[in-house]
Amino acid sequence: MSDKSSRRQFIDRSFRIIGFLGIGGAAGVLTKRASSSAVYQIDPFKCTSCDLCRTSCVLSLSAVKAVNDFEKCGYCMLCPAYMDVNSRPDEKGIPTGKVCPQDALKRRVVGRVDLEDPNNNYYEYAIDETRCDGCGKCVKACLPPAGNGSLRLEIRYTRCVECNECAIRVVCPDDAIVRVPVPGMAPTADSSEREKA
Amino acid sequence: MKPQQPEAGEGNLLDRLRKSWFPAAAVVGALASFIAAALRLRPEPGTVLQTTEKPAPPVPPQQAGPNLPAGGFKREYRKSGSLVGGAAAQQFRSSLAGIAVGPGDRVYALGDGEIRTFEAGGSLVAVWKVVPNASCLAAGSDGHVCIGAPGRVEIYDPAGRHTGGFAAGDSAGRPAGITAVKWFRDEILAADADARLIRRYDRHGKQLGLIGTKARAGSFILPNGWLDFDVDAQGVIRATDTGRHQVTAWALDGTPLGSFGKFGMGNPEDFVGCCNPVNVAVTHDGKIVTGEKMVARVKVYEPDGRLLALVGPENFDPKCIHLHLAVDSKGWILVADPVRREVSRFFPVAEAADNAPLRDRETAGGIRQEYARI
Repeated sequence: MSDKSSRRQFIDRSFRIIGFLGIGGAAGVLTKRASSSAVYQIDPFKCTSCDLCRTSCVLSLSAVKAVNDFEKCGYCMLCPAYMDVNSRPDEKGIPTGKVCPQDALKRRVVGRVDLEDPNNNYYEYAIDETRCDGCGKCVKACLPPAGNGSLRLEIRYTRCVECNECAIRVVCPDDAIVRVPVPGMAPTADSSEREKA
Repeated sequence: MKPQQPEAGEGNLLDRLRKSWFPAAAVVGALASFIAAALRLRPEPGTVLQTTEKPAPPVPPQQAGPNLPAGGFKREYRKSGSLVGGAAAQQFRSSLAGIAVGPGDRVYALGDGEIRTFEAGGSLVAVWKVVPNASCLAAGSDGHVCIGAPGRVEIYDPAGRHTGGFAAGDSAGRPAGITAVKWFRDEILAADADARLIRRYDRHGKQLGLIGTKARAGSFILPNGWLDFDVDAQGVIRATDTGRHQVTAWALDGTPLGSFGKFGMGNPEDFVGCCNPVNVAVTHDGKIVTGEKMVARVKVYEPDGRLLALVGPENFDPKCIHLHLAVDSKGWILVADPVRREVSRFFPVAEAADNAPLRDRETAGGIRQEYARI
């Protein structure tokens, strides 16, 4: 009888400890997030879309996503970031291969639609973030002179877990991962130093 | 026989485990799995987490275009040298926005907020300041020069004096995004890339008509936001339709007269990439000269779209998004490379290249390699 009660007590105690640790950890993470005034972001002028964002993020599906700037986008029929222009053409001469290995770049016709000739249409390209793994193939393919350079890689704050030291920043060969101040928060010491410099 | 009693302290297995290392191991294990789950341990560098990459489909064998001369081009151009930049001394410091050829084959180059005028032989004649945001220029048969700038057209006399100008845009007051201007007799034609049409003005800025609005398929498709055109002596306008990969022909009253060109990576006659050709010019004998980006090259076509000649990418910077074009009375092609800030001249060699083999870089494989290299 005493054996049974002590085992129950032991299990009870173990679960309590684990529970306390879990609550404490979550509180710590939330406190850290709430107190930080800067976040990790990618400098598009330094980024070379080297593919390390895909492989180095601690998340299984990287927090880095491609983003399309619709102001700059040409709404091309033959978007070099969407179609692999070197792939086998179909009977109308349109390339059949896609650039994105995850098929995360989605397109739809916008404006007046000509069903007979697709060359007369404009197409909008949007990123499916549940598929995009931040490999940057589309970003590379859209760079001038091939495209307008409307695509870029961005760290999505809603997905980023704000590691103490960003795993992508550690390996980034271009120093493209930077800390940027969040609007409405006081700048961090290192960002104000950088501004002074 | 008396059963053997366990020694003192041995007890049952659970009891022994509980008393010894089991509690500690259980707590440590639970903690470790909790921390691992919370932090999602970083994978080894180079670990592929997700990959659905498929092998590239095989590239079809090169096919000669239906109108391409078997084995080579009918005409060949050779570089005569540079007028600006390169080996020449007259280098622009920061920009080269356009070129034009005027009477007596005088060459006008626009860059750094000024116009530089050269004799046909290449000597610098004059330099004058223009509006700093000028994007294009044209020279009339009387030596007057007009400049296109956002929402404005400015006119200068042959000596470089500002003699007039007018605002260009629609009736609602939206300024025109002017990317090309041309003289036709006493009229000024201005390409408005924002409105995707060509506006026709008299010298005083009165709008006479619009070109590009009467086609069944709609106006120009311009993913790169650039519209270029030229007009021949008969008043036929040749304009680039970059999204459709075509050169289109229009009458001055806006009637569409036809088009040629299509997308293709395998045939030099076709236009590569998302949006080409980006620039166009018409020679005095009616041939059409096109400039392409991505695979920076210049091509010469018959008016019906048959490819006559090709000036290869080895002559231009691969990062060019424009190759501004002009032609002189002798049929020489002037190309302004805005990245190198160099104006090169190419002259036609006698049409003896019928049997010359296609150079390797102009074959399908060569174009693909060039595309991949950039």
